[in-house]
Amino acid sequence: MLSRAFAALGVVWALAVSPSALAAARAGKAQSKKSKTAEAAAEATGLSATEIEALRQTLIGADDEESGEAADKLANAGTARAAEPLLEVLAEGGRPLRVQAALDALGKLGAAHVLRNDQAVVDALVLYAGHRAPDIRRRAVKALGNVPDPRVTGPLMDRLGDAAPDVRAAAADALAARHEPRAVPRMFALLSRGDAGVGSALASLATPDMVPRIAELAGTVDDELVANTLGDYVKRDDVPEKLRIDVLRTIGRLSGAVATTALAEYLASIPAKEDRASKREAQKLLDQRGGTP
Amino acid sequence: MRAARLGAILLAALAGCATSPYQRAGNGDDVAAAVARSRPPETARRSLAFLVLGGAAGSRLAAYDLASSRVLWTQSAEVTMRVATGASMLLHGAKATAPGSPAGQLVARDLGTGAVLWQHPIPSSEELFGYALDGDVVYLVQRVSSPGGKPAGRLTALDGRTGARRWDRVLPSSRVAAPAARGGLVAVPVESQYVLLYDGATGAPLGQVLSTEEAATFVRALPEGLFYGSRGVFLMGRDTARGSRRSPSYLSAHLPAFVRPTYDYDFYRPEQTEYSAIDRNRVLWRATVEGGRPQFRDGLAVVHDYRFFFAFDAASGALRWAYLSPTDAVASADTGQAILYATVDGELVGLDPRTGARIYQASVSGGGTAETVRGATFDAEGFTPTAGMISAAQPPELTATLSAIIADPDQRFPALKLFAVEELGRQPGRAVTTKLLELLTSEKTAPLAQQKAGDMLIGRRDAGALDLYRNALRAHADYCDKRPAPPVEVLARAIGALGPLGRSVAPELEAHLTLPETTPAAATEIARAIVATGATDSTAALRDFLTMYRSDPVYDRDPAALIAASEALLRLGGTADRELLLFVAEEPHTAVGLRKHLTGALAETAPARHP
Repeated sequence: MLSRAFAALGVVWALAVSPSALAAARAGKAQSKKSKTAEAAAEATGLSATEIEALRQTLIGADDEESGEAADKLANAGTARAAEPLLEVLAEGGRPLRVQAALDALGKLGAAHVLRNDQAVVDALVLYAGHRAPDIRRRAVKALGNVPDPRVTGPLMDRLGDAAPDVRAAAADALAARHEPRAVPRMFALLSRGDAGVGSALASLATPDMVPRIAELAGTVDDELVANTLGDYVKRDDVPEKLRIDVLRTIGRLSGAVATTALAEYLASIPAKEDRASKREAQKLLDQRGGTP
Repeated sequence: MRAARLGAILLAALAGCATSPYQRAGNGDDVAAAVARSRPPETARRSLAFLVLGGAAGSRLAAYDLASSRVLWTQSAEVTMRVATGASMLLHGAKATAPGSPAGQLVARDLGTGAVLWQHPIPSSEELFGYALDGDVVYLVQRVSSPGGKPAGRLTALDGRTGARRWDRVLPSSRVAAPAARGGLVAVPVESQYVLLYDGATGAPLGQVLSTEEAATFVRALPEGLFYGSRGVFLMGRDTARGSRRSPSYLSAHLPAFVRPTYDYDFYRPEQTEYSAIDRNRVLWRATVEGGRPQFRDGLAVVHDYRFFFAFDAASGALRWAYLSPTDAVASADTGQAILYATVDGELVGLDPRTGARIYQASVSGGGTAETVRGATFDAEGFTPTAGMISAAQPPELTATLSAIIADPDQRFPALKLFAVEELGRQPGRAVTTKLLELLTSEKTAPLAQQKAGDMLIGRRDAGALDLYRNALRAHADYCDKRPAPPVEVLARAIGALGPLGRSVAPELEAHLTLPETTPAAATEIARAIVATGATDSTAALRDFLTMYRSDPVYDRDPAALIAASEALLRLGGTADRELLLFVAEEPHTAVGLRKHLTGALAETAPARHP
């Protein structure tokens, strides 16, 4: 009964129902049944259309464990067609474990640069990025970050304002990975509120003029947070040596073990044979703190 | 034997009746005649406020002339019981200056100078319930105990200028209350249900009132008549000799639930004769009497509740005006032409009883000296602030005043603030809708007040506020911007209440179906609002919501939101939506409650088969 109903839905939803995020995903599924391109794609990666269909059946089958394994296999299939059964799971709406597995698998496909940037993918992931469960949102945000489509920037920016710290951190990481400078003001606002999850992301995007503002947060937020953020910033290759020394000195003035660790990590990030002023400065600051790399 | 015993009891009862001191209770002729003897007091045309002061300068009593806005005199005094004024003297209770009088003493003063005329220590064998002045005659009611004897009630008349005793009258009960006196007539409540009337000159009994339906806890002498009552007010006369609420001479204002309907303090409780919180929370009223029938003057009853004054239509309970004082008003009085009050920090204010406009203002704190006012008595019958005493006598704008009351940080008055929210919601205008939305979203609004604001917003059915609803819905929750979620549940209900008129806001509403902060309860209301507004374009969002959450364990326990979404799809959707619902109904992972509901709903709405 289920399969018969779903087969009908696959056609009817795609063609007759007014647009919705999941309708697009459903449309993708319906199309997959008819398209011959799946076979071509499968041949290109060595995964046959029959194998994909078998994985799809397992994915939507009754057994949760087997479904999860099928999602893993699809995630590693290395083909865009592997996304379609995963989107089908999202379109049907399943129990949280299955949805999480589907989102993780889509994230992996995205990381492997084989995720299509079509409307169905974007819409489905954006929809689940607004799910009530933080675990599902975080996974959807992570997958979204790997979709090479400018339409995902807005939703990722929205999730910087998520109530869950893990979701905010995932959104910040995704935006940083996409080198999205528009995210910097919101990231800084979050850092000002003591949000530890955005420090590294902000460090990767911050411009030099942002550094004094981050340093000024010392005393208003946990010093460890400032030290971590500046510590990540100072390790960037594009930071001028003079500014790097200033930042190291700022870290040196911060209290706590995290500041010491930030200095030590900076030292460790520089090849042993390389000599630079900032390295000497970091060593000096560490010595003053009584720490050793 | 048994018959003989019953007969003895009957005889005893009849004997008791024969000697009852209340045989003439409720006799209309007696009461009418007594009241007729009572001459309306001549209006002294004074404009005095007697202020009980504390603070660094010590305890004092000051006389302040409202007309000239100046202090007439100040005397060191430990005032306890309220000041009562006569023709040329005043009386108050005070802490005893001599040992042996733990109950304190009565102090009479010259009205013009405040100088002590006489002092009367109250011995421990006497309990003073209160006093009243009529001209310069003082009437005291006391409960007197004697060794080995039963306590007895006593009414005493004293010469106000000298303190000399004029006459004593033993009252028929020791359950006595403070008196009132008006134009040669003295009224004393006893036994909670009687008011005994005496000739002020001789102490001769003149009549007895019997209150049959509610206690008579106070008597009050006003130029317009002699009144008694408790939960309401009876104008004493033939009609009310047997007090019944059905009497046309009975008044009781229609007041909201937060008001304590205290038309006067409880004269049976001596502690209430002192300046206390009673003075800050009561109903201010005056009457006009035509043809022997009283009405609340201007049809209004004014409620003084610490810092707040509200005037209500006594018949309907409708709010006429509201006034907010920055600090607590420690005492107030309706003097006929003005509602006068004194604040704890020495402000004296007069309000127009009809409009609430501030028509008088003065301060006893001057020259860098801050005064603390503990209590006040006004002797200013008919005082009318003259033009120029205050520059802008504009009535307070009701919506603004209610908003200020709601926003006031004083946390002592939750019920009053709920009332203010309710009243605000009843006012017309877009500004009110805006204010209600502010209340709904403000962190400073108490939860109950928010709930009330929501109820009022929904009840308004303000179709002119759709843009306000739209803007409110667009402000999604954002941790980064420190922005809370809008009150989606209430807004959905408010929009749903508009029916098809609310359809244009459906896009903003449906967007919340797919936001993480939207609660199941809010989602339920969104789905219902979509149905109510007939927003067929919103079916796509309903489908997404339904499929995304149909297997979510959260909805296993309470699938109401999913059911509401599926119902909306059934009503607004087409064939494809029925197909989706069929899938959802049959898919085994769907929440059990939803499956069950859908199975029934799909069967009930199945299209008829044609051969």
